[in-house]
Amino acid sequence: MSFSVRSESSSPQRVTLHLQGRLDAMTFGEFDEAAVGVLQQMATGSTVVLDLSSLDYISSAGLRSVAKIRKAMRARSGYALLVNPQPQVRKVFDIVKAVPVSDVFSSVTELDNYLDRIQRQIVDGDEEDN
Amino acid sequence: MAVRGIASRLALWVLAGTMLVIVTGGLLLFRFMGHQILEQTHRESEALASDGGNRIQQRLDKVTNSAQMLASLIGPRPDDAQSLIHDVMQHNPDLAGLAAAYIPHSTAAATTSGSPFISRRDDGTLLSRDMLQDPSPYWDWPWFRTGLTCIGGCWQQPFFSQSRHRKLVNYSVAILANRQVTGVLNADVTLDWLQGVLSGLNKPPGGEAFVIDQQGIYLASDNPGLIGQQAKDGLLDVFSHPDAKPIREMTTQISRSDDPVWIYHSPIKGTQWQFILAIPESWIYASVQRAFLAALGIGGLALLAMTVLVFVITRRVMNPLGVLTERAEQVARGALDFTLPKVRQHDEIGRLTHAFDRMRLDLAEHLAERTRVAREQQRLTSELEIAQQIQTALLPGAHYLDARCSNFELHAVLQPARTVGGDLYSYFMLHDQRLYIIVGDVSDKGIPAALFMARAITLAKAMAPRAQSPQQLLQLLNEELCRNNDGCMFVSLLCGLLDTISGQLIMASAGHEPPVLWGRDVPRLLEFDTGPALGLDEEATYPVHRLRLRPGDNLLMYTDGITEATDHALQMYGQERMLACLARYAENEDGDPAGYLVTDVESFAAGRSQADDITVLALRWHHAGPGRSASMLDVIIDASMDAVFDMLERCDRELHSAGIDPDVRHDVRLVLEELMVNMVQHGREEPRAGQIGLRLTLSSGAIMVELHHDGQAFDPLQSPPILLTGDIADRDTDGGLGVHLVRAMASDLNYAHDAQGNHLQLRFIYPHKPE
Repeated sequence: MSFSVRSESSSPQRVTLHLQGRLDAMTFGEFDEAAVGVLQQMATGSTVVLDLSSLDYISSAGLRSVAKIRKAMRARSGYALLVNPQPQVRKVFDIVKAVPVSDVFSSVTELDNYLDRIQRQIVDGDEEDN
Repeated sequence: MAVRGIASRLALWVLAGTMLVIVTGGLLLFRFMGHQILEQTHRESEALASDGGNRIQQRLDKVTNSAQMLASLIGPRPDDAQSLIHDVMQHNPDLAGLAAAYIPHSTAAATTSGSPFISRRDDGTLLSRDMLQDPSPYWDWPWFRTGLTCIGGCWQQPFFSQSRHRKLVNYSVAILANRQVTGVLNADVTLDWLQGVLSGLNKPPGGEAFVIDQQGIYLASDNPGLIGQQAKDGLLDVFSHPDAKPIREMTTQISRSDDPVWIYHSPIKGTQWQFILAIPESWIYASVQRAFLAALGIGGLALLAMTVLVFVITRRVMNPLGVLTERAEQVARGALDFTLPKVRQHDEIGRLTHAFDRMRLDLAEHLAERTRVAREQQRLTSELEIAQQIQTALLPGAHYLDARCSNFELHAVLQPARTVGGDLYSYFMLHDQRLYIIVGDVSDKGIPAALFMARAITLAKAMAPRAQSPQQLLQLLNEELCRNNDGCMFVSLLCGLLDTISGQLIMASAGHEPPVLWGRDVPRLLEFDTGPALGLDEEATYPVHRLRLRPGDNLLMYTDGITEATDHALQMYGQERMLACLARYAENEDGDPAGYLVTDVESFAAGRSQADDITVLALRWHHAGPGRSASMLDVIIDASMDAVFDMLERCDRELHSAGIDPDVRHDVRLVLEELMVNMVQHGREEPRAGQIGLRLTLSSGAIMVELHHDGQAFDPLQSPPILLTGDIADRDTDGGLGVHLVRAMASDLNYAHDAQGNHLQLRFIYPHKPE
C-alpha cells in the first residue's frame, strides 16, 4: 500500500484531504476516485485543503490529479489549497510552477488564519451589502 | 708583360710577318734589280771595252796609215826616204823608230844611201843611222823576212828593245817598186801610250783593262805585273770566239781576289789584239747591295717602331680586357663589389664592359634574391618545425593505460607525410568516467590541413562535455566547421564514447573508414552507417552504433594512410592485408597493435615515400575488475506498468543499499518513472508488447542509467518546452509535465534511436558525502 487518502470535513465549507505515500502513475487513479466523491459534496465557494505532510512522492500523474481538483474548485468559485508539502514534493511543484505560492501553506495554523481572513472579508462584504 | 700576353704575342707575330714580307720582297727586288744592274753593267762595260778598243785602234791606225803611205811613197822614190821618215817621226810621237830596210844589193838599196833608220831617243831627239852599217845584218832578222811578205802591212811580235829599254812592237809594210818588193818599212811603235789609254778609260773602281796580243801575251795591263806574261789558255779560247759576250770568270790571274769578275773583250781591228775589261762582280752588285742593306735597315727600324707601336696600342686596347679578366676571376671567387674600367669608346670592349657590368649587377641581385629566398625558406622551415611541435602537443600521448581500474589500454601512432599533417587522433576522459576516442582525417595535406585539424581537434575537445553522445558531438562539430568554410575543407571523423566502467561503446562516423574489431573472433571490419564528412552539409545527422566490449576485445581505428599505402608496384595495402596483419598480431597479442600495423605498412611500402598521413588508434578492453563501479542493475522488463513499478522499487532498494541519499533517490525514481511510463504508454499504441532495458551503474559521484526501449522513436529532448503560467490549473493539456521534470532533474540526458529502438542515457550527479 503505497498510497492512501483520507478525507476530513471540519465544516460544510471546508474539506481536508490527507494524502499519504506516493502519488504516481500507479496510484493517481485511486486518488482521483476519492477526490471525485469528495468534490461532489462541495458547495459553491467552499475550500478543499490538500494536506501533503505525509506525501512522500509525487510524479506528473499526481500533478495532473491535483490540477484536476483545482480546476473543479475553480469552477465552483472555491479554493484548492496545499498545506505542508515535504521538500521533495515541494521541489516538484516548484519545477513545474504548479501552484501559486499564495496557495501553499507551511502549516495548518497558517492555513486557518488565511481562511478566517477570507471568511471575514466575505461576511463584511455581506454586511455592507445589507 | 709576360710573353703569353696577347699584346706581346700580337707584336711578335706582326714583327715576324712583316719581316718575312720585307725580306722576301727585298730578296725578289734584289734579284730583279741585280739582274737589271748586271744587264746595264754589261752594256756599259761592253761599250767601254769597245771604246777602249776603238781608241787603241785609232791610235794604231795613225801608225799603220802613216807607214803604208810612207811605204807607198818611198817605193818609187827611195831617195826621199830619209826626209820622209824624218817628217813622219816628227809628227807621230807614237813612233819610237822608223826604218826603211831594203833588201841588200837590190836596186833600191843601190840607189839610196842605204837603209835609213831614225829612232827617237829618250830625250825626244831623233837619231838617224844606216842600218846597212849595223854590225849584225838586219836581213837575217825574222822581222825583216816576215815584213817582206806583208804587202798590206802587218803587225809583228812585240819585243823588248834592249837598246831603248822599252817594249816595242813592229808594224811592217813591204816596200814595192815596180811591183817588186824592195824592202820593208818597219815602224817601231812604243806601247807606253797603251798603258795611258787604259788608264785614261773611265773605268769603274776595281775594274781593270788589259790588252793582249794574238799570242796571248799581255801587252798592257792596269796590273803592271801581268805585262809580258802569257794569258791562260782558257782565256785565249774565249777571246778567239767571235762573239763578244761577257763572261764570268773566277780566274785568279785577272782578278786580284777570289771574287768572281766579269770579263768583256773587244777585238782591236787591224790587229789580232784583244781589249779586255774585267769588272769585279762585287762592284756590280755593290750599289744594289747597299740599297738593299739600307732598305733592310730602314725597314727593320720601321718594323721595330711598328712592333713597339702595335705592342703599345694592343696593350692599351687590351688593358680593359685584362682588368675585365681579373674581375671575372673575382666574380668566380664570389666577390662582386669592384670598379670596372671606364669606357672610352663604344667599341666591342666598351660593349663588353657594359655587358659585364650589367651581368655583375644582375648576378648580385640574383644572389641577394637567392639569399633572401633561402632565408625565407629557413624561416619557413623553422616555423614548420614549431608548427609540428604545436601539432604534436595537440595530440595526447601514444600510450594510455587506465590507471584507475586497468579496464582498458590505448595505443596511438600518428605519422604525418610532411612536417605537419591533417590526420588527428585524440582521447579524453569526461568527468564521469566516460572516454572519448577520436580518429580523423582532414582532406588535403600540409599546412591548411594541419590548421583545419587543429581547429577540429580543439573544437571536439571543447564541445565533448556539452555533447553527451558521439552523434551529437559530430553534429555540433559539423555545424561549427561548416561555418565560414569557403575552402570547402572537410574532415572525416570516427568518434567513440566508451563507458570505462561497463565497456559500453557508442560510435558515430562522419564518412570515416570502419574500425576493426577482434577479440575472441578474428579481426573484422565493423561496418555501420556513417554520415557525411564534417564541414560539408550543415544539416547532416549521424547515426550511432552501439556495442558492448567484452574482455579481451580490441578496437582499432585508422585513417586511409594505412589502406592506401602503395608499394613499388603501385599496389595498395588494402583492408585485406590490414586484417591479415592484425590476425597475425592477434595470435600473440604482444605489445602495441598500432605500432605492429604501422611497421607492417612501412615494410610493405618500403622504398616509397609516404604519400599520406598515417594514424592508428587501438583500444584494448581488459575489463580487469568490476570493483564498486560495476552495474548494480541490468535487467530487461516487459513494457507494462506493473513491471515498471516493480523496477522502480528495485532501483530504489539498490540505491538505498548503496547508501544514496533519499533526495537523489527521489530524483532518480521520478525521472525513471516519467520516462518508463512514457515508454509504456507509447508502447500501447504498437501491436506487440515492447521491452524496456535498464542498466544502472554507480560510479563515484554519479549514477548512470541506460534505458532502452524497442518501441517507436521518441526523443524526450525534442519535445517543445511547455508554457508555465504558474498554475497547472490553467493548462488545457496534460502533456509535457513529465518530460519537463526529467529535463530538470537529470544532470545529463542523451537520446539516440537506431534499429534497436530508443536509447537514453541519463546521469545523476550527487555530491560526495564525507564517509
